[in-house]
Amino acid sequence: MNTLQEVFQTWEAVIGLEIHAELTTLTTKMFCGCKLEYGAPPNTHTCPVCLGLPGALPVPNKAAIQSIVLAGLSTNCDIEKHSMFYRKNYMYPDMAKNFQTTQGPIAFCMRGHLDLDVDGPASRERWDLDGLKIGETGPAGSSAQNVIRTDLGYITHVGITRIHMEEDAGKMIHIGGGEGRIAGATSSLVDYNRAGTPLIELVTEPDLRTPEEARLFMQKLRQIYLALDISDCSMEKGSLRCDGNVSLRPRGSKQLGTKTELKNMNSFKNLHDGLAYEICRQAEVLDAGGTILQETRHWDPRQKRTIVMRVKETLDDYRLFPEPDLAPYDLSDDFIASVSAMLPELPDEKAKRFVSDFSLSPYAARQLLESRFAADFFEECMARAKDMSATFAMPIANLIINDLAGYLRLHEDTSLSDTPFTPERALELVGMILDESISTKQAKDLISAVMEEDKDPRVIASERNMEQLSDTSVIASVVDTVLAENPDKVQQYKNGKLGLIGFFVGQCMKYTSGQGNPRLINELLESKLSSL
Amino acid sequence: MHKAMSHLNLKSLYISDLQSGLKRGDFSASDVVDATFAAIAKDDVSIHAFLETTEGLACQAAKRIDEAIIHDSYDSLGPLAGVPVAFKDNMNLKGTHTTCASKMLKDYVSPYTATCVQRALDAGCIPIGKLNMDEFAFGSSTETSAFGPTFNPWDTSRVPGGSSGGSAAAVASGMVAVSLGSDTGGSIRQPGSFCGVVALKPTYGVVSRYGVVAFGSSLDQVGPFARCVRDAALTLNAISGKDVLDCTSQEVRTDFTAHLAEGVRGMRIGIVPAFMEADGLTEEVKVKVQDAACALEKQGAHLIDIDLPYAKAAMSAYYVLGPCEAFSNLARFDSVRYGYRDPGHKDLESQYEASRAAGFGPESRRRIMLGSYLLSAGVYETYYYPAQQVRTLITQDYTNAFQDVECILAPVSPRTAFKLGEVSDPTSMYLSDMFTISINIAGNGGMSVPVGLGKDTHLPVGVQLISPAFRDETMFRVAAALEQVYGPATVPERHVK
Repeated sequence: MNTLQEVFQTWEAVIGLEIHAELTTLTTKMFCGCKLEYGAPPNTHTCPVCLGLPGALPVPNKAAIQSIVLAGLSTNCDIEKHSMFYRKNYMYPDMAKNFQTTQGPIAFCMRGHLDLDVDGPASRERWDLDGLKIGETGPAGSSAQNVIRTDLGYITHVGITRIHMEEDAGKMIHIGGGEGRIAGATSSLVDYNRAGTPLIELVTEPDLRTPEEARLFMQKLRQIYLALDISDCSMEKGSLRCDGNVSLRPRGSKQLGTKTELKNMNSFKNLHDGLAYEICRQAEVLDAGGTILQETRHWDPRQKRTIVMRVKETLDDYRLFPEPDLAPYDLSDDFIASVSAMLPELPDEKAKRFVSDFSLSPYAARQLLESRFAADFFEECMARAKDMSATFAMPIANLIINDLAGYLRLHEDTSLSDTPFTPERALELVGMILDESISTKQAKDLISAVMEEDKDPRVIASERNMEQLSDTSVIASVVDTVLAENPDKVQQYKNGKLGLIGFFVGQCMKYTSGQGNPRLINELLESKLSSL
Repeated sequence: MHKAMSHLNLKSLYISDLQSGLKRGDFSASDVVDATFAAIAKDDVSIHAFLETTEGLACQAAKRIDEAIIHDSYDSLGPLAGVPVAFKDNMNLKGTHTTCASKMLKDYVSPYTATCVQRALDAGCIPIGKLNMDEFAFGSSTETSAFGPTFNPWDTSRVPGGSSGGSAAAVASGMVAVSLGSDTGGSIRQPGSFCGVVALKPTYGVVSRYGVVAFGSSLDQVGPFARCVRDAALTLNAISGKDVLDCTSQEVRTDFTAHLAEGVRGMRIGIVPAFMEADGLTEEVKVKVQDAACALEKQGAHLIDIDLPYAKAAMSAYYVLGPCEAFSNLARFDSVRYGYRDPGHKDLESQYEASRAAGFGPESRRRIMLGSYLLSAGVYETYYYPAQQVRTLITQDYTNAFQDVECILAPVSPRTAFKLGEVSDPTSMYLSDMFTISINIAGNGGMSVPVGLGKDTHLPVGVQLISPAFRDETMFRVAAALEQVYGPATVPERHVK
């Protein structure tokens, strides 16, 4: 199979995404008063409505409507003032009523878009940008007509068809079959706690051309939803889910090829890798003169390939019709205006502000926005750093991105400000790095110690004797000892094996119990070695 | 202690008689319960109106009422205090079976109570039991019940009408004073006419549908059966109004008893000539409607001919919209969580198919398949969409007509009760509802009022009063005027004792 770069020499990929977000920050379900709670004992949050018992009727959750309007306003959608719920009829045990309440041709949010800033190596994956100068857009009608060249890459305009409201199904567990699939299972269990969870589904236009664009779109949308506080957006728990539709066509062609639908891309990496694999797989089939079947495929991240789930021979007939139990929904101008007034600062604006106010790199700014807590924590630190904020901005951002990201991932529901690692302590720690009283490696150890012991970093550092050894004469003698003990390695180094510098640094660190100032050690090693 | 009332006969008592008897201490609520179940034991053998009786719940309710009487706090009990009421078996009452007269739900026990039932209970009624019906309300004779038909108290070789046949027969035979039924195309009014009782389908949205097993969600409406107009009005007062659990329900602040004594002098009553000339309308029913019109005119009403040009398309629209909604509403009966499950299947698909094939009767299967077809891709545009357009036109017809008149007088059913098995092909059966369906399509109120027996069959005939949406009190006002002439419903001779 060819690599993605090779495939892109001849083929263009056309990608569209369907992104489901559970409105997890709401307290109750879409059409009943049952509590929304992830991980509760099975079937403990159910009632006649979400169990679809005979006679039960839905009542829409107004807060959910507010959430979808927020999502629409922040993705440049038109808000439809008059829309309806529809019934999508199909039978499956996780759908208690055997129809899903969703929306019809007109959704609450229609015709939106997001602009993606693509830079780095992946920005060279698009063939149609060659020859475009910075600030230039491709000619109308060409594949690059929605693209603007930038100094680092390009900005692409991705259309959003719609965002509609619907309810989630329950969760099924199949027992006895392979890998928890229904095929071959001896029994199945259903948990209806999730049934009726409000979902918003965003459908993009087929405007994406590379896996990286798809990944960036998903990342940007996630940051927006997080800023709006409408979902916890956990791809791992499934509160943010993405299906991809992908097809290939020869470069320059305007016709769409047969698409496959890709499922189970439950992380940014899986989204990227799944699409990349599928593009390469399709190219291999087409290059060999084969045809692509319209099918649903499952990305298996362990085997790193996609597997057929089912072949679609005909279009599914869901017998969609207006839900008679729910009146058509009319949104007033006042309502839309009141929701509009609730819009927070959106990620794009915030990132721009981080770059202009604190001179962060665009990359660091984007990374900080991955978690609302991270961005908030950064801002709290900057507020306390006052006129020193310019000095502290990048080190604090790096600290959050590199050292706190893992902690935040593990403790999704905690705000950093609720932990012993306060902004004051973060600034103190960064201060210690800047004045070289500790190393960056020691800083990592100190963060976990602060979390555990709830003490200031300086106190812990002195208790544990952690302070960095920056005494030049002491380090110089350590360097001399290490070089004297390893004459053969010194000879190899002098013969050109420059990588051995790492070995010497490691030895010096060992002699100083990890407290030696790495910058000083490096400097002294290099000067001694060159003078030998 | 109350004197022994083993001979208490409730059959000629209306709500006001019953309540004054209770207040005076002529008899106790427990006596009412005993007399009611004694009458059921005697009469229901030949009528088969009840699918389940609720002695336990009835005794509890009676005990509360009797205690209130002892403590002189009877007035705190509510407008239906002491009134025996039974419910169509598509209404959930916690702890009772709600079968919809289907094998599919034979063993289904309600875990919650429908709003209309709860409101009747809150108004102090004594719950007596659950009543037979056409399976899932599909039918006009109660013959499609999986548990056998109900028989007309006036002639047990005849049907009581349907689908709320049990509700009509239970009141007509005097077993209960009041019952609740549901009406999707005529299912309250037609059996009301066949059994000679007051029966009404209020405007869509007047009574909450929460807890009533849905047939056609946009058409279904709950309403009362009673032996006099005032009892029907009192019952509607108790069960109507906005329910937060049904977002199609509306705020109702009307006292439906308020205008009963006002008479019809000066009222403009509409007559639809096209209805009076319709094919299939029997002479005896036509004569009764004309007779009722004359009676109203004599009391000072003005009769005005009106035109409902699109009403003739109501039947076609109904047999598109009804089955489409029913198909979707009945999809939940899949044998997975509750309901009939055909045993021994190893995969989901065959369990679904076999359970639904065996659990549903022929008429249910017919409507599900019809709805499934009508909603399918390529067909939907041809039927469902035009049916919705027709619906709009019919609604406009009524809106226009009610510019000129305050109430419309029409037949309920083209004929009196037919014999069991007499109408066997579905299309002829569907024609039973030719005068009632357009009211469900438009959503306004309709009521069947008994006007005596037909000259040929000597069976009860009802005339239909049709009100503008949310002006249901006008039907009551006209009904009360007719009752002045024809008297309230009478219990057939053989069931009186």
